[in-house]
Amino acid sequence: MAKTYDCLFKLLLIGDSGVGKTSILFRFSEDAFNISFISTIGIDFKIRTIDLDGKKVKLQIWDTAGQERFRTITTAYYRGSMGIMLVYDVTNEKSFENIKNWIRNIEENASADVEKMILGNKCDLDSKRQVSKERGEQLAIEYQIKFVETSAKDSLNVEYAFFTLARDIKAKMEKKQEASNPTRGSGAHQLRANEQQRRPTSWLSRCSLL
Amino acid sequence: MSSSSVEDIPDQKELFTQDGVLLKACIGRSVTELNSVGMLCIVQTGEHTKTIEWRPIDTITIDSDTQDQEWAVVNTIGRRERTFSGNLTADYLTARARIIRIPLDELKSFRVTRNCQLIQFSTYPGVWQTTFYFQHGNAETFIANLKSHVKTAKTRHDRNTYVVVEPNTESQVLNRSFAELDIFTENTTDVVWNLVSNFKQRPYETTMEAFSKLTDIVYYGNEGVNGKRDVSEEVADLLTKSMSALEEATTVTKSDEYEVISVKPTLPPRPSIPRGPPLSAEKWEGLQDTEGRVTEVEGVKQLIFRGGVAHSIRQSVWKYLLDFYPWHMTTKQLKILHRKRTDEYYAMKLQWRSMTEAQENRFAEYRDRKSLVEKDVNRTDRTHPFYAGDNNPNLVLLQDILMTYVMYNFDLGYVQGMSDILAPMLLLMGNEVDSFWCFVGFMDRIASNFDMDQAGMKQQLLHLQQLLAFASPELARHLSSKDSGNMYFCFRWLLVWFKREFSHRDIMRLWEVLWTGLPCNNFHLLICVAILDAEKETFINRDFGFTEILKHVNDLSMCLDVDRILSSAEGIYHQILSAPHLTNQIRIVLGIPTVGNVTDPDDEEPSTSMDTKDNGTTEPDDGRDMEEGSIEYDGVRIYTVTKNVWALLA
Repeated sequence: MAKTYDCLFKLLLIGDSGVGKTSILFRFSEDAFNISFISTIGIDFKIRTIDLDGKKVKLQIWDTAGQERFRTITTAYYRGSMGIMLVYDVTNEKSFENIKNWIRNIEENASADVEKMILGNKCDLDSKRQVSKERGEQLAIEYQIKFVETSAKDSLNVEYAFFTLARDIKAKMEKKQEASNPTRGSGAHQLRANEQQRRPTSWLSRCSLL
Repeated sequence: MSSSSVEDIPDQKELFTQDGVLLKACIGRSVTELNSVGMLCIVQTGEHTKTIEWRPIDTITIDSDTQDQEWAVVNTIGRRERTFSGNLTADYLTARARIIRIPLDELKSFRVTRNCQLIQFSTYPGVWQTTFYFQHGNAETFIANLKSHVKTAKTRHDRNTYVVVEPNTESQVLNRSFAELDIFTENTTDVVWNLVSNFKQRPYETTMEAFSKLTDIVYYGNEGVNGKRDVSEEVADLLTKSMSALEEATTVTKSDEYEVISVKPTLPPRPSIPRGPPLSAEKWEGLQDTEGRVTEVEGVKQLIFRGGVAHSIRQSVWKYLLDFYPWHMTTKQLKILHRKRTDEYYAMKLQWRSMTEAQENRFAEYRDRKSLVEKDVNRTDRTHPFYAGDNNPNLVLLQDILMTYVMYNFDLGYVQGMSDILAPMLLLMGNEVDSFWCFVGFMDRIASNFDMDQAGMKQQLLHLQQLLAFASPELARHLSSKDSGNMYFCFRWLLVWFKREFSHRDIMRLWEVLWTGLPCNNFHLLICVAILDAEKETFINRDFGFTEILKHVNDLSMCLDVDRILSSAEGIYHQILSAPHLTNQIRIVLGIPTVGNVTDPDDEEPSTSMDTKDNGTTEPDDGRDMEEGSIEYDGVRIYTVTKNVWALLA
């Protein structure tokens, strides 16, 4: 079968049960939302190919069961992940507190240089909100991870989140390639310089705009 | 490695060794020597002489501290002699004297009994001089090896006895011809030996390479290899002969008590066993006595196994299948029991219903469980009309039952998947008390699925892997090669017993069949094997990898035919059961009495009173009532139902 993409990124959605991992994935892959979703048992994944700066990037996004006791099984699928979405529910304090545990879980089971992003989902449910956006941002700064509030229901920032994570992975890959290929001309140096300039402003400013 | 420095030991090489072999009897040896453990070998003592040798363990381990050394000594006898050349101890010499040797050209016959664990040798007609007992496993591989060195034939009067026809002169001819062909640079005897011995592990690689050279010669003559030798018809003939000899070595030979494992063991053909009609209301009524006791419990289960339960009586039958109602109780007793269970249920329900918000705030573990239940209830089978729509009262029932179960078993609490298990029960029963107690019955069977450490799930996945490796080895190998040998992709199937894979109607059928516990333990794992085996071609031919395998399995949901799967799972069960190479590992998984241990005489369950001839026991089948209840499908006799039930079926 012919390759219809330039590169494949394996992404992972993790977070407490019921925070909306499957809904986020469904929104991103099918652009749809279903109020009566079923809980995820075991593991599943969906595919969407996106265009990233002229490159066709196939995203293989893995969706896991959230309940703690299934972690022994689900962590088996962490291997090879290049990006991880840590999802909590802004209407559920506990799910937010558990993000720290999930980060530890990643450290133990995923590769060290995996790209991460924190998503505060269900931000459409403002009346039920238990976790403020500021607290989300604070946590993100603490861990040096990008953060965005999302709503799978209202299709808010879901697209943005995946594109951002994918772009970060791509940038990291290119950087790595460059490092392993230092004999290339001055163009590469320039690119790296640009990258360094662009990075600090990019994610913090964008996130705070939301 | 240098050869021996001790004179009385000839230059010898082990061709085969088997540890853990007990000397049970030996003419001319003292009783004190008996029952000692040793190693049974086939050794090459001269260019053309081979000997069966048994060495007591103390000659082997005499100077060995570590396992490694022990193996080193076993593997290279020369080294051992070197070690002792200087200071042979009296003990060692005594031990050496205990070695038993039976030269192969003196061997007249051997006999294998007791599920292939006991082997006796004779060098003199009518006398069994030595008897050995295989502690670990059985003598199958030893015999397979032995047969590559001697030509044997079975005796007519005793199918367990093998007569050595003649020393294997044919193989010597073959050796010589190979030597003459000069195909191999190594010692030709080695090559031929390796050819035969490695056949088992690497049948194609080992032999094809050698044979391809031969074929080259046969087909292309002088140009084929080195152009030096004239290829006579004799060689071609030899080639055919040796081919058929090897072929013979790879096929299964069987006797009552003893089989040689085939090189590539295959299962007997799968019988296709038709499903039966569901247990009807009339029959169900007929199976109860005047006071309402269910008679013929075993028969009822067999009928349900074969065809399930008619929907009109499911409500009633499930209570029995799920141990809410004991089969032997009268209608009167059941009424009392039901009242008692109703009270119990509401008492437990009150425990959580009466909890105040303030209490709840100080009870984190309870709060967590409650929150999990709420989340899952709102996403359980919401597309089914019974649970669809906002403010559906059935969701409240679902929630109440699960919360009461939390109080019933707080340690287990609520785990994802439980709402899936409960939903079809509530749909069927329509009331909380019956649904709750049936749910309890089901949970009792599958509680280990929800273990905190997931040990129960892991064990099942391992068992599934073992069963698949036995029943569908090619597929099992493919999965392993694709990093999927842990079978994690079947997790969902096992956790909620296929609830996500079938419609409500079909899952009810599947569950009630599985609850009968027939025809063996862990039949649900054979359901997995049946589903996977049906997808085998897809997996292998399309070379599915790690992700495709998972995707394909997940996508099978709602595309499966429950009756077809049940039928093929039962077929696979019979294939496994009549496989000559059935292992104890598989027997344990399926709850079949293991071979080599004392079988439980009480075990007369119809499920296991199969034609057990093939799994190695000599005891004639317990044939009671079986004539009428057995059906032959594709050459396999299957005992479907006992006589009484057969009558009911009519």
